[in-house]
Amino acid sequence: MSSKQLLCFFLMLSFFQIGFTQEKGDSLVLPFNLKFDNSKLLSHKTYISKNQDTLSIDLFRFYVSNIEIQFSDKSIFKPANSYHLIAMDDPNSLQVSICKNENKIISKISFSIGIDSTTNVSGALSGDLDPTKGMYWAWQSGYINMKIEGKSSSCLTRKNEFQFHIGGYLYPYYAIRKIVLYPNKEQFEIAVDLGILFSNLKLSETNSIMIPSKIAMDIANFSQSMFTIE
Amino acid sequence: MRKKYINIIFIGIIILVSLAFVKKMTTPVYIDIPKNWKKPNYDFSKNPLTQEGFELGRALFYDPILSRDSTISCASCHLQATGFAHVDHELSHGIDGKIGKRNAMALVNLAWSKSFMWDGGVNHLDMQPLNPIENHDEMDETLENVVQKLQKSTKYKALFLAAFGSSKVTGQLTLKALSQFELLLVSSNSKYDKVMRNEMQFTEKEQNGYTLFKQNCASCHTEPLFTNGTFENNGLSLDTTLNDYGRIKITNNENDYLKFKVPTLRNVQFTFPYMHDGRFKTLNEVVNHYNNIQKTKNLATHLMQPMHLSDNERVDLVLFIKTLTDKEFLFDTRFNYPKN
Repeated sequence: MSSKQLLCFFLMLSFFQIGFTQEKGDSLVLPFNLKFDNSKLLSHKTYISKNQDTLSIDLFRFYVSNIEIQFSDKSIFKPANSYHLIAMDDPNSLQVSICKNENKIISKISFSIGIDSTTNVSGALSGDLDPTKGMYWAWQSGYINMKIEGKSSSCLTRKNEFQFHIGGYLYPYYAIRKIVLYPNKEQFEIAVDLGILFSNLKLSETNSIMIPSKIAMDIANFSQSMFTIE
Repeated sequence: MRKKYINIIFIGIIILVSLAFVKKMTTPVYIDIPKNWKKPNYDFSKNPLTQEGFELGRALFYDPILSRDSTISCASCHLQATGFAHVDHELSHGIDGKIGKRNAMALVNLAWSKSFMWDGGVNHLDMQPLNPIENHDEMDETLENVVQKLQKSTKYKALFLAAFGSSKVTGQLTLKALSQFELLLVSSNSKYDKVMRNEMQFTEKEQNGYTLFKQNCASCHTEPLFTNGTFENNGLSLDTTLNDYGRIKITNNENDYLKFKVPTLRNVQFTFPYMHDGRFKTLNEVVNHYNNIQKTKNLATHLMQPMHLSDNERVDLVLFIKTLTDKEFLFDTRFNYPKN
């Protein structure tokens, strides 16, 4: 093998390398910050809700989909097939890569919490939509849009547990909800404050939601106010 | 000049080697869509059938690895020789000797189904296996765990590589492979089908049964699939030991109280016992039920009048129903327990 051929081979290899390393650093990232009132959301830490429920969160996951970004120059970016599972137990999932970063200023962000009805009837899907993610109902087809599980002394349930599995893709129980945010600064995070949701609930009365239902729709509505720019 | 040739050969070899890693060839297969049947409901473009995918699906279908303690496979309750139903069991058995709530349905002509399970709770064939896998009385396992177990298996890594070009096991591909096996379970070579194709003839009694069938049964058990895919209340009283209210549990709609899927009648001779809770052991009992049906709340409109067939007519009706048996399907070696 001549030195030319070798050089060619290593050049090709290095192109692959560059291809891989470029991805993360240069992309536009939407950072999500999970909170409970004014503190960071940590598993097994004890919080007190505005309704005086003492509680801890073991699991918090939700889908963000259908993202649309509008920049200050009025250009709009809408990634195709954007379905992202945000999970408290997976720090990487809190940084959602959207597109190549062109250092443009974002003026408006919209996205949905949950999964649209078409995707719900499209069979087995991959990536964050893979049914191994624990966000799919077995006995009745459909994605769980948001899953919140934890414990509270207010719950007179087995092991004082509460579970909210919020989903549904058929009217009147279509659980997807739209969020629109207007960032007013260049550096921002999307805060997701579970404290706001629990300020709307009394855990002694509401502590187990596992099916698409009226109460699940109420929680889906409350959950919209959790999302703010900070 | 010579050097140039060496260069070309060298580059050619590199391209060939890299191509070998890009895609292993698969063998496409297609399901037979019998003449005069409507278009299948399943979207094959999202899961193109291949021989390799089918073989992976068959291996999974017959493998108890899908259950928590590796005791229950799909085939535990869906046996080929009995039309992929659970013969002689009113309610299907699951893990730890537990007994489920319903009679296992026959698996046949699923590409034409729009919903699955007795209550239609599952909206897509791909997602159906999640139901028995995660049911605590059936396989009591999670798909996540199944994927981990398959990923550790040399056999399955090879099968996934052959079928999907990657030995990485995912939930999506596991479910799609199972669909590929199930989609090929097409039964369309019964005596009935052959009569319709003018290859055989009904006996006089079968012909009479066919006429009675069209008058009394076909509005729900519609030809050629012998189901119209809807949910009906067929006048069965509630079994208070099970309290299974049927489709209302899925829709929360009062009109769906005690409604269950209209099952296909193909191979029904061998899929006994009958009904969602397996309460009838013979076809005669089923026919007798419709012959003397009592009006109940939510009863299907087509069933408002009892059939009032004579003894001979009922015999003929059952004789016709037995012409829906497709021995070629029941003994098709492609659907057997895999040999390796």
